[in-house]
Amino acid sequence: MSTRIGVDVGGTFTDLVLHDSVTGEIKVGKQPTTPAAPELGVLAVVDAVADRETLRRCAYFVHGTTVGLNALLERRGATVGLITTEGFRDVLEIRRGDRDDPYDLFWTPPPPLVPRRLRLEVAGRVAADGTVVRPLDPDGVRRAADVFAAEGVDAVAIVLINAYANPGHENEVRDLLRAAGFAGEVSLSHEVSGEYREYERTTTTVVDAFVRHRMGPYLGNLDRALRERGFAGRLLVTRSGGGALELEEATARPFETILSGPVAGAAATARLVEVLGLPLAVAADVGGTSFDTALIQDARLPLLYQGEVQGLPLQSPWVDVRSVGAGGGSVAYVDAGGLLRVGPRSSGAVPGPASYRRGGTEPTVTDAALHLGMIVPGRISGGIDLSAELAGAALAPLAAPSGLPDADAVAEGVLRIAAAHMAQAVRGVTVEHGVDPRGAAVVAFGGAGPLFGCLLADELDAACVVVPPNAGNFSAVGLMQADIVRGAARTLVRPLGDAALAEAGTVADELFGRLGDPAGAVRELDLDLRYRGQEHTLTVRVHPGEDATAVRERFSAAYHRSYGHELADPLEVVTVRATSRVPLTGAGTLVPAPPGADGEAGRIRLWSFRRRAFADAPAVPRRALTAPLAGPLVIVEPTATTYVDEGFTVEESTGGCLLISRKES
Amino acid sequence: MGVVRTVFTDPQPGRGEGADPVTTEIVRQGLNAAADHMKRSLIRTAFSPIIYEALDFAVAFYDADLCMLAQAPTLPAFMGTLGFCVREAVEGVGGRDALAPGDVILYNDPYGTGSHPQDAAMVVPVFHADELVAYAAIKAHWLDIGGKDPYCTDTLDVYQEGTIFPGVKLYDAGRLVTDVYRMILANSRMADMVIGDINAMVAGARAGAEALSAIVTRHGADVFRRCVARMYDHGEALVRSWFAALPDGVYTASSVIDSDGVSGVPVPFGVVVSVEGSRVEVDLTDCPDQVPGPINCPLPSTVAAARLAVAFLAGAGEQPNEGHFRALELVTREGSLFHPVRPAPCFMYGIPADHAIELIIRALGDAVPGVPAASGGDINALVWWGNREGSGAPWADGAPHPVGQGASPRGDGASALMYISESATRFTPAEVWEARNPWRIERLALAADSGGAGRFRGGLGLDLSFRCLEDQYLTAALARTELAPWGRSGGLPGRPNRLTVDYPDGTTGDYALKTRIPLSKDAVVHLRTGSGGGYGPPAGRDPEAVRADLREGYVSEEYARRHHPHAFPA
Repeated sequence: MSTRIGVDVGGTFTDLVLHDSVTGEIKVGKQPTTPAAPELGVLAVVDAVADRETLRRCAYFVHGTTVGLNALLERRGATVGLITTEGFRDVLEIRRGDRDDPYDLFWTPPPPLVPRRLRLEVAGRVAADGTVVRPLDPDGVRRAADVFAAEGVDAVAIVLINAYANPGHENEVRDLLRAAGFAGEVSLSHEVSGEYREYERTTTTVVDAFVRHRMGPYLGNLDRALRERGFAGRLLVTRSGGGALELEEATARPFETILSGPVAGAAATARLVEVLGLPLAVAADVGGTSFDTALIQDARLPLLYQGEVQGLPLQSPWVDVRSVGAGGGSVAYVDAGGLLRVGPRSSGAVPGPASYRRGGTEPTVTDAALHLGMIVPGRISGGIDLSAELAGAALAPLAAPSGLPDADAVAEGVLRIAAAHMAQAVRGVTVEHGVDPRGAAVVAFGGAGPLFGCLLADELDAACVVVPPNAGNFSAVGLMQADIVRGAARTLVRPLGDAALAEAGTVADELFGRLGDPAGAVRELDLDLRYRGQEHTLTVRVHPGEDATAVRERFSAAYHRSYGHELADPLEVVTVRATSRVPLTGAGTLVPAPPGADGEAGRIRLWSFRRRAFADAPAVPRRALTAPLAGPLVIVEPTATTYVDEGFTVEESTGGCLLISRKES
Repeated sequence: MGVVRTVFTDPQPGRGEGADPVTTEIVRQGLNAAADHMKRSLIRTAFSPIIYEALDFAVAFYDADLCMLAQAPTLPAFMGTLGFCVREAVEGVGGRDALAPGDVILYNDPYGTGSHPQDAAMVVPVFHADELVAYAAIKAHWLDIGGKDPYCTDTLDVYQEGTIFPGVKLYDAGRLVTDVYRMILANSRMADMVIGDINAMVAGARAGAEALSAIVTRHGADVFRRCVARMYDHGEALVRSWFAALPDGVYTASSVIDSDGVSGVPVPFGVVVSVEGSRVEVDLTDCPDQVPGPINCPLPSTVAAARLAVAFLAGAGEQPNEGHFRALELVTREGSLFHPVRPAPCFMYGIPADHAIELIIRALGDAVPGVPAASGGDINALVWWGNREGSGAPWADGAPHPVGQGASPRGDGASALMYISESATRFTPAEVWEARNPWRIERLALAADSGGAGRFRGGLGLDLSFRCLEDQYLTAALARTELAPWGRSGGLPGRPNRLTVDYPDGTTGDYALKTRIPLSKDAVVHLRTGSGGGYGPPAGRDPEAVRADLREGYVSEEYARRHHPHAFPA
């Protein structure tokens, strides 16, 4: 494995993992995230871990960034102008007419990213089959250019109706705009997405124009600063749809990075289960505010092709990682009807859980775990000295109104309810794919994931739990294993047949042509298919030379797996998807645990959910685990604590993983 | 035929005592998630855009006593309506004792579903260790199940509205009853799509039943029942705590429905809402006897309308269960608009139901601060069908359309949102329409100047123009084309709904409720949806807000000067 660095910018911390190919060393680092100028936090963690010599040896710097996402969250981006087809000025504001909360009479959508005065129409019309119904009116574009100049527009999105079927008019608009002297960034909808649905494509194109303004300078500055420190390798940026983009591509297509936040953890899980040979796994990443889960079948990342951010749909591939508001900071409370509830509200970084001694008084999942002995006081990262007294004091007042006997019962309830929330999210993912979670391995990671492994296994009746090395930094490990990936897609609605496949092949050639043909690239062709009359599609891999019968068989098998039946109806091709993937040379597989103190062995008072009582139990340093041990116990290491309940056995497994399985009895 | 009081009481009070609160919360979450899985399975496998885009369906679980365990959020208008139809469906096939594992009951009698025969329900009994523990039910809109037209605004009795299945087994112990299946197909103009939707519904209901069964198995039937009883008590306590915050009193409002679609005369009605402690009573007896045209609203939908209106204001947001319904009482008069009896036609039941929702909200405006002005009004549905040129293949499509929302003291009304009773519904993209149907969309725009003026402006309506590229038929189902959306506290009314057609021969038509309008190639259909009413006197509008509206083109200078002269100092 070549020397590489992965840096992931999270909401609270910026994490780094470094693998040094010369010394074989693994180093990890953690610095506070600096939201106003995220590159400062990134450079701080680089400076803390890697010297000039190491940086010079480093072949890849893989970066997970939230700059694009934050530009949207804070609405700080370019002043965007929009050119669209006559009659469709308000698509961005009309949306799809639905509400985020269907029961909220007063719900109003957030203001559109482009104000109405900067949304301008030009005459000219293309039909759904790509024929030109009316030629483009060049004067309309010139008038728009004048308005944009007067209004100080610095990026323009061009979205014409049916441009997915014929991009000619969009290209003409761009040329006319340039000829009229517009010098800023231009985003064309057919280049950004190529898929139909004008609201979704407009949003995606506008988001692209909006964040490009922030992303380009940020990545440029970071690249420069790294090079000043001796870095001579390639800067890569993680992609929402898995893998990583090269610097130039990330600068040109920043919208493809916006949903990349939780991807690295799923990617690391996929790589791990490939090595372990597990056909079915559930990634279970528990952080401070959320639980992120993904279903990994045959070591493949689950991909979807339309995501959403801040209520804005994005026609961008993304790894289907589901998030629910259940994490260490989730607040427990008793509602007006007298039931104990957990989350989705989180205590956040400030004040944090009651036990953090920062003035928080509401009990959280972390407080409950501390109260039950699952977290050993004084042993969490970030130098926080946990107070079990404050945790107990916050939990106790919930007992009477919820009808529970004492703080112990409240704490147990909080953990069980949080685990049930997580299990629902897992079931949501598995049911949709027609998979029974009972056959899955739960891969538990993130700061609090290993606490929940056994609880989740019980809720889901899952086969076993795997806790990877570096569980608390596992997502950053995933960054280092990314391939370089580019993708493009185009809507092409045709009845499935050999003629349609030939046409799809031509479209694919064009798309691959646009993606370039870098050395070592592997081409992947997928088709979105559906029964004619349905709306929702399934994506099916197509290999060169396959005929319609083979494609139909693959679709039928996938449909049957998901829905338990298949139909005799004719199939329809909807979208052609081209992906070019360059595996990083020498990408390693498992990363051994970094050196460092695991904490001390000792005896603790630990709750057993199986026994529904406290037990005298051992706290075992991770490296001291040499033979299988039976719970209840906790395994301690620098970035996480693993809880093993009675009825489970933990042992060291391949690549430094902990394997927790039900005790045979 | 007399006055009927509909109350949902606890069939076995006290059963929830002693249930573990933590397990109760876990069961509650599990049921809500299972209902959601049933919903997603249906959306992803359905064939009709009315199901997968308009979400015109309901999915829910009921316990063996027909109390609602959980319902997934879809059309709010269907909240809790399935209980009536599960009861009728089970009785139709001979009662509980006639049920076996693997059964699927089909039921679409409007008086039990609350809607038209197109809304067909599938009910699957759930067994645990040979004992009936629950039902999984799905009601979804089929594109066509007979009737005089695919979508009707002029029926004279329920028998003209579609073929009725009064509770029959579509699957008997897991085996398809082909006689029933063939009956369905023989009665549909869109048999292919209906087959697809039947498959989707059966698969969805069975998936739901399995998920529910897993929950019962995990906790055991006894613990499950106790936890469910406690869950209902919890839901009831929650809703009562909302209602208790409403000031006691009797609140009234009245309005007029444009027409019943047949006789052409206006239909006036009134609501009386009484709040006493944590109990709310909605009285809908002040209305005409059932009317000749199809705007009669069967009891289940009247119940849903009353629940929704109160829930919107009382601060709902929880996925409801049976307990949520116990604090609301409904009073209706048998044989009337809001409680019709067979054979009154009820195809357009949504018109009075939706109107009642906004009227109840208007009445409660005297009790609850911050109630908004009227929205553009339901339902603006256009239903289209024909046979494609060349292939002759039958096609159909149809959907409601967004309207402007009423302004409130919180601010301007939102523009172009679906009516609140169908608020999860999504509007189909023009590009999808054009790829699927013989149309060109010539305009899809916010209507400047349409919002009711006020201190806060009503949300804008929508202007939408369809050019027909082939001959086809259209049924127009527009309500509130006469009644302008009312303003509140001095705000001015918005614009009502309107549909006009420009025919290629130069003539035009103006329609509200009209069935089977023949449209020739190159006819252009213009839909102008209603806007929201304004809130507060227009003279009180912030001059900066007037200027911003002007700058962005939401209002014209003429509108701004007429309603807000104070923003233009001499």
